[in-house]
Amino acid sequence: MKKFISVLLACCLVMTSFSACSKKEEETSADTSKDVTKPADSSSSNEATATAAPTESTENAEVVDGKFVNTRKITVEVYDRGNDGGSKPEDNVYTKYIKEGMLRDHNVEVEFIAVPRWTEVEQINNLLAAGDAPDICVTYDYATIQTYAGMGGVVNLSSYVEEYKDQLPNLWNWLGTRNIYWDKDPINGDLWAIEAKLAVMNRTSTFVRKDWLDKLNLQAPTTIDEFEAMLVAFRDNADLLLGADADKMVPFSISSDVGWRCDHLSGSFIDPDITDKDYYVNGFDDRRFTQPGTKEAIRVLNKWYNEGLIWKDFAMYDAAGDTTEDNMMKAGYVGSFIHNWDYPYRNGEDSIQSNLQRLVGEDACYIAIEPFKDSKGTYTKYLAGPIDRKVFFPTTNDEPLASLMYLDWISEPENIQYLQIGEEGITHVTLDDGSIQTLAATDDNIMNSPLNIDYTITCNGMNLVDPDISLKSRALSYAGIDSALIEVADKISTHDGHIGKNVQVGKIEAEEGLGTSLSDKRDVVLCTSVTASVEDFDKIFDAGMDDYLKSGGQAVMDERKVKWEATYGDATQLPE
Amino acid sequence: MKVKEAKSVRKNKVKVGTYIKRYWTLYLLLLLPMTYFIVFKYIPMAYIQIAFKKYNITQSVWDMEWAKNHGFEFFIKAFANKDFLYALRNTLMLNLLDLVLGFPAPIILALLLNELVFKRFKRVVQTIAYMPHFLSWIIISGLALQLLAPSTGLINILLGKMGIDSIPFLNESKHWVGTYIALGIWQSVGWNTIIYLAAIAGINPELYEAASVDGAGRFKKMWHITLPGIRSTIVVLLVMNLGHILGSEFDRPYALKNNLVNDVSNVISTFVYTNGIKGLQFSLTTAVGLFQSVIGVIFLLIANNIARRLGERGIW
Repeated sequence: MKKFISVLLACCLVMTSFSACSKKEEETSADTSKDVTKPADSSSSNEATATAAPTESTENAEVVDGKFVNTRKITVEVYDRGNDGGSKPEDNVYTKYIKEGMLRDHNVEVEFIAVPRWTEVEQINNLLAAGDAPDICVTYDYATIQTYAGMGGVVNLSSYVEEYKDQLPNLWNWLGTRNIYWDKDPINGDLWAIEAKLAVMNRTSTFVRKDWLDKLNLQAPTTIDEFEAMLVAFRDNADLLLGADADKMVPFSISSDVGWRCDHLSGSFIDPDITDKDYYVNGFDDRRFTQPGTKEAIRVLNKWYNEGLIWKDFAMYDAAGDTTEDNMMKAGYVGSFIHNWDYPYRNGEDSIQSNLQRLVGEDACYIAIEPFKDSKGTYTKYLAGPIDRKVFFPTTNDEPLASLMYLDWISEPENIQYLQIGEEGITHVTLDDGSIQTLAATDDNIMNSPLNIDYTITCNGMNLVDPDISLKSRALSYAGIDSALIEVADKISTHDGHIGKNVQVGKIEAEEGLGTSLSDKRDVVLCTSVTASVEDFDKIFDAGMDDYLKSGGQAVMDERKVKWEATYGDATQLPE
Repeated sequence: MKVKEAKSVRKNKVKVGTYIKRYWTLYLLLLLPMTYFIVFKYIPMAYIQIAFKKYNITQSVWDMEWAKNHGFEFFIKAFANKDFLYALRNTLMLNLLDLVLGFPAPIILALLLNELVFKRFKRVVQTIAYMPHFLSWIIISGLALQLLAPSTGLINILLGKMGIDSIPFLNESKHWVGTYIALGIWQSVGWNTIIYLAAIAGINPELYEAASVDGAGRFKKMWHITLPGIRSTIVVLLVMNLGHILGSEFDRPYALKNNLVNDVSNVISTFVYTNGIKGLQFSLTTAVGLFQSVIGVIFLLIANNIARRLGERGIW
């Protein structure tokens, strides 16, 4: 026994000491490599600058014809959506295309770092705190970037985009001054992030089961009353519509992200003549929680919930990433819902629409409708500005030029086109009129995100080299889906659109660090309000709103008001 | 006097020396867990100072600026934060309920198991009772949703078929607390019996024989022999549990919570997650964590003290 223990111990000791050694070796080798590269760098720059006079910015001297003399290395964030049967986000046909292209055109090696889509902010927080963040980071949450910037963790891009303008023609062409300078601080000129461009402004749509409408001899509703009558009809005819599964009937479905899932409904309760100022001051929450009118919209949901028109279990499931609700739609239990404008048509073979047709029948389908009329009789949709994700460089990025070149490369029209439609014959076919029909791909050719938006980080929405073909192809870019359905959703999604404007009043200090905790709070208030009894609705909603405002919501609104007045004075509308 | 002391010290030294020489292999083995504790538990303590400083991702902890109010800015902020106070209340409430209801459960189960005569049946029961311990809370919450969801949960469907209204196990605050505690007991009761069963096995069988001779029945034997026999084990575990009264696990409340029961499911660990990790307010949440640990230590000391006064050994 004793012998055994001592042998075991000896092994342990040897192993730990080895691992300690190897660590040391790594460190020292890293050190020496640094030492080696430094003189090599300077010598190469000497070579390069042998003809030109040595300048202050050595980086310039190291680029010849848009290519680095020495290979540079950058890391790029890519969302991991964890799709069923998807390809590996950091290693597939498209990442290979990007890697090869960047090495060929700019002599820059690219490595992708996968970050889970639904917890991106948490993950990036951790990576930044550990100093391991990718050189090029992407997020939808500008407040987070502002927090990092306040700590000195983000590169100020204002001088770089100007200085290297000549080397970034595609980036400037594609994004233009508007998107590049969207987040520029009007006072000190700081620029912490570049806004990607939304090629297609579509946001959400309201969907309904067309085959159910037909079965019940109903017209597509055009007012909220008709919509409610339709939901009641679905509920009361569950036996006819679902047969043995009648108890699974869900006339209208929402998720625990109530604000998003009642987008058109709540939009119709806002005064369509709302001033830019009011819209901005109340506009911190992207689900329009504090906009006047939202409470009345939620009251409608509360009523529907208590009448059994809304999915009873909606608040039980995590809105991000849980597939329970999708599966109910696929199985054909859900009559209507509001979601991303192309939600039921996404993901090719695995889309809700394709599954529905397989499981329920060929004529089963979701179609977009427009039932929520506002006080002026229009169907105003509150759209975001022409901006999408925000790209920023953490200060651990040692290669700002190489990183900007990456953004330039990824904004090059040919590259956007390839990433969006892939290879002829594998992911698309070209039709006679030149338009592109998307095919369902397999293996490494699978696009994990619609049109590969996770790689085209400066562009969201179909944007082919030829804009006419782009327009024609948009409805064909959903494999296996009738293009007529897409065209309807596409049209409705932006009809009577109110496009978000850029209010440049500088940083709102009160917003710092509040983004996620306030949106969590909002979801709690909305869920508890919807599920309250009709008598308790006011009490619960008001108490929740009060808590939200006291927890920072009011401070944000106050500061937004003050800053607006400081910048635009008495004007209530933005200058055109 | 002094000479004597010096002598005893020397004697001690000699003793320590010979002990180490004699049992060097055991001391060497001890080195591994010691390294673990130093590397993963003691060195990270240097970062406690984040609670007193203004956190900045780009600086090392030593260079960060001190927080206002003599470094206590974030403690003041935490106690002014309504969500934190709720989280504190909920943590205490859930942990106390866990203690009151969950602590005796494995003792009772161990006593019951011990009385089983048919050994094979006992082993089967034991194995089945252990199993939930190996399920993660994510899986348990998935099971809970399948079984207890208001309209699609199996139990509520069955109730509905019997004409009974569905019970809001997960979507109403009071019911949720019950579900939370019950699931906790279900998950851990079997596993926690192990230590009691081991203690019971260590009781001298002659005591039982003597009691039988004196005419004691099963319950008398349980009450007068088994329970006193495992009393010291119970006390040690109770003291350790009291040390965790403010500690909170993360996965259990996080996996089981939903937006409808936030008023009871928001505990300190989930508060730290939303505000610290998601909201990047590391200073605030480190302050909360430190407060939690300090209260935990105080509870531990008090409980241990009481245990020793009651004549038990305590944990040190």
